[in-house]
Amino acid sequence: MMLKIDNLHVAVDGKEILKGLTLALAPGTVHAIMGPNGAGKSTLGYTLAGRDGYDVTAGTATLGGQDLLALAPHERAAAGLFLGLQYPVEIPGVSNLAFLRTALNAQRKLRGEAEVSAGDFLKLVRAKAKELGLDPEMLKRPVNVGFSGGEKKRNEMVQMAVLDPKMMVLDETDSGLDIDALRVVSQGINAMRAPDKTILLITHYQRLLDYVEPDFIHVMVDGRIVKTGDKSLALELEREGYGAIAA
Amino acid sequence: MTMATSLPGRRDEAWRYSDLKALERAHALPANDAIAEAVTLADGETRRLGLAPDDSQRATLTLEVPAGVSATLVESLGGGGWLDRAVTVRLGAGARLTHVILQTAGAEAVVTAAYTAALAADARYQVHLGNVGGALGRVAMDVTLATGADFTLGGVLLGNAGQTVELVSRVVHAEPGATSQQTVRSVLAGKATANYLGKILVAPGAQKTDAAQSSKALLLARTASANTKPELEIHADDVKCAHGATVGELDAQALFYMATRGIDPAEARALLTQAFLGDVLDAIADEALREEVSALAIGRLRVLVGGA
Amino acid sequence: MAQDTLATVEDVTGTYKWGFSSDVESEFAPKGLNEDIVRFISAKKGEPAWLLEWRLKAYRLWLGMKEPDWAMVRYPPIDYQDAYYYAAPKTAPTLKSLDELDPEIRRTYEKLGIPIEEQKVLAGVEGARKVAVDAVFDSVSVATTFREELAKAGVIFLSISEAVKQYPELVRQYLGTVVPIHDNYFATLNSAVFSDGTFVYVPKGVRCPMELSTYFRINAEKTGQFERTLIVVDEGGYVSYLEGCTAPMRDENQLHAAVVELVALGDAEIKYSTVQNWYPGDKDGKGGIYNFVTKRGLCKGTRSKISWTQVETGSAVTWKYPSCVLAGEDTVGEFYSVAVVNNRQQADTGTKMIHIGKNSRSTIISKGVSVGHGQNTYRGLVKVLPSAEGARNFTQCDSLLLSSTSGAHTVPYIEVKNPSAQIEHEATTSKISDDQLFYAMSRGLSAEEAVAMIVNGFCREVLQQLPMEFAVEAQKLLGISLEGSVG
Repeated sequence: MMLKIDNLHVAVDGKEILKGLTLALAPGTVHAIMGPNGAGKSTLGYTLAGRDGYDVTAGTATLGGQDLLALAPHERAAAGLFLGLQYPVEIPGVSNLAFLRTALNAQRKLRGEAEVSAGDFLKLVRAKAKELGLDPEMLKRPVNVGFSGGEKKRNEMVQMAVLDPKMMVLDETDSGLDIDALRVVSQGINAMRAPDKTILLITHYQRLLDYVEPDFIHVMVDGRIVKTGDKSLALELEREGYGAIAA
Repeated sequence: MTMATSLPGRRDEAWRYSDLKALERAHALPANDAIAEAVTLADGETRRLGLAPDDSQRATLTLEVPAGVSATLVESLGGGGWLDRAVTVRLGAGARLTHVILQTAGAEAVVTAAYTAALAADARYQVHLGNVGGALGRVAMDVTLATGADFTLGGVLLGNAGQTVELVSRVVHAEPGATSQQTVRSVLAGKATANYLGKILVAPGAQKTDAAQSSKALLLARTASANTKPELEIHADDVKCAHGATVGELDAQALFYMATRGIDPAEARALLTQAFLGDVLDAIADEALREEVSALAIGRLRVLVGGA
Repeated sequence: MAQDTLATVEDVTGTYKWGFSSDVESEFAPKGLNEDIVRFISAKKGEPAWLLEWRLKAYRLWLGMKEPDWAMVRYPPIDYQDAYYYAAPKTAPTLKSLDELDPEIRRTYEKLGIPIEEQKVLAGVEGARKVAVDAVFDSVSVATTFREELAKAGVIFLSISEAVKQYPELVRQYLGTVVPIHDNYFATLNSAVFSDGTFVYVPKGVRCPMELSTYFRINAEKTGQFERTLIVVDEGGYVSYLEGCTAPMRDENQLHAAVVELVALGDAEIKYSTVQNWYPGDKDGKGGIYNFVTKRGLCKGTRSKISWTQVETGSAVTWKYPSCVLAGEDTVGEFYSVAVVNNRQQADTGTKMIHIGKNSRSTIISKGVSVGHGQNTYRGLVKVLPSAEGARNFTQCDSLLLSSTSGAHTVPYIEVKNPSAQIEHEATTSKISDDQLFYAMSRGLSAEEAVAMIVNGFCREVLQQLPMEFAVEAQKLLGISLEGSVG
């Protein structure tokens, strides 16, 4: 298994949000977690990435057999986990290029790989930015500062492409995108599909799944996976709502 | 009056947050004879001056930049004793001075540096300050602006362990149409304290004054503190004066975001704190000087971040 | 609104509307200040021994203190021996009913437009809110309205002299706990000679059913006023308190040194609003009130909240810093201020927010308007102690200068000893641009109307904090204070 989550319980501010979530994702597959607001979808993403304040009270999560919960957030990234944020953070004063290069080399260092030279790095980033329709000029600007919602999401995809993770958790990556941006972002995700990679889409709507076809859909209600099926489940959800499925 | 004869007290407003104990200790050091220098800079000249006493040293400088002359002064203040520096700067009409002050004294040292500058009409005075050394590192600037003169102050204050680093400025807009911008960034670790007392005074009749102050302090440790007093005294109505001040810690969201991309916490803190100084460092126009000041600031920052 | 303001300006045609004096027969203590005067005041009020001792202790402390000189205000030395420290209308000190009130005093309050007759309030416009009033005339409280109705709710609203008699334990428990006896020169003087003032106690869980209000009036000549206000709101209680002040026009300067102490226990909320309109002196700075006031609130209990709103348009000299000590966790302190100085007026006012409790939050909004030769200073302190994890402050200080001879000064102190605090301070200075004036005038406003409108807009954030009755009054006052601002 790529990612294996077993009976995961997570509390935020003393309130239990994830209540025994179990999920196993194989390499080479694409999954979508769907669920109503407040089901705990974003909590799952933050917990996997190791954000402060998301307290695991019970359960396990492993990435390629490695205990994910024992690692610091940056170590999880080096181990191959990538979390795409619903609201990418703005960092004034730190340029996109410096940010991404520092991140890439930090990961490589932790994995015992050699640093990427400045020239190779630039070539790589420019190529990925071009593929994803991000103006190369924006790479020189501070991280996400003054970016539109769509530009921020494209920037997330550029980061993902450059860092080349094996397990991608994308939290509401489709939110706030117009149809053109959605197409570009979907291309970015599809380009990452590979036999040795796993993608987990966290989404509220069926819309993204028209562009990125998942192998499996998991329905999450009140901190648990209540149903798993193939992509036809998304249409069922769209038709009948979460209430009927959860019941 | 030199400080050797009478030490300031807590009731002196300009010293209200200072480390008076460090000053008292310095006062007990054996004193060398005072040094007095007078320098006139020529057009295009870059002058370097350095002082690093291990005893108590009073050193005064009278600096002249004649009308129309454009020059640079780089001053390094250091040592392990007490450096009591007093500089009088006179800028003639239309003169330009870029003045770098790097204070890097030893951990036990005290530096008290006082600058009094008078700018004639349309003169331009740019100060780039790195105030990072000493048990007490204090820089005071008293700048008076004539018609159309411009004063820019970019200050980086970095403190670690029990350091007190402070900047006390008073910018007097004596005549109409002068401009001033002060940008101060402080980063504190350990039990360090940074103080910025900055006053803008707009004299009666000094219309069309444009004066701004921006002060931001970043606390990296629970035991660090920052005191800020951005003060305005305005006696004319057609003016633009503003100040902004913030105190806080590193943005937890940004730290997490960086971690999800694989950047370790120490590296993330270093990047964010460097970015925090960007407003001051990036404003240094001359590339060589920018590199010099940045290298000092970033090197010191690494120590702070590591120690936090 | 601008029309209203202008109408009022034209109404009063450049004079202080409240400048009349009333011909009330008064009883004075001998002029000057010494221990005997302190004893005289205490005896007049029939106070218990502990309070006399408290006053004497304050007086002795005061003798050894120095008048503060750090504020940006200039005035000739005050001769503390050349004033009366006690003046009382010669009518019966305790009124059985409002009918016993000296008709001249009644007329004074009528002229001031202050409803001290309950019937009048009751017969007022339908839907108008009731406001209970404590009227302080020179040194004593002369009328307190709606007492019975308040008593039903368990709210105590009394002059402080009466409260000392009726609720000695309660007064003794809290008096001097927020503003200690040695706090500062003027507060210590007040502790020695305070004449009257208001006491409010709101019991646990009670929302005071109406606004409470005190109107202060200095009438007698050469008389200092030293009122003392103490408001205690018990757990979960709420009160909104309004304070207004006026004085006759006199050539001499009169001293007003009040102390206000607020205590909010757990989940309690106190909203304290002031419209300060003491006589500001004439165009050349002759006469006017010296207003040296110490106001401080203690947010003692968890989630308690104290909000100060002030509109300062009067007084020759104002020295006043309504503050909040945010001791409890999750407490909230607010300070909303408009200060207008015209002619030779000087104001040095602001606030202190002392963050002690975790997650304590404070907001400071200060609007200074300087006209004529007026000097306006915002002076403030935001202090975050190591214990105040997660403290937040936002401060906005804006100055509007309406003449080249006036001054606007900002002196904020920010002291932070906890890294998790988030402190933001912003200050701006502006004038009314020619473009704004032209634009407003091109739409049919006169220059004065345009100025009044722009100033009202500038002060909006603060004015909208005031209870409705006060907001209207404050807006009119602003207009009057701007008199002569258009050349």
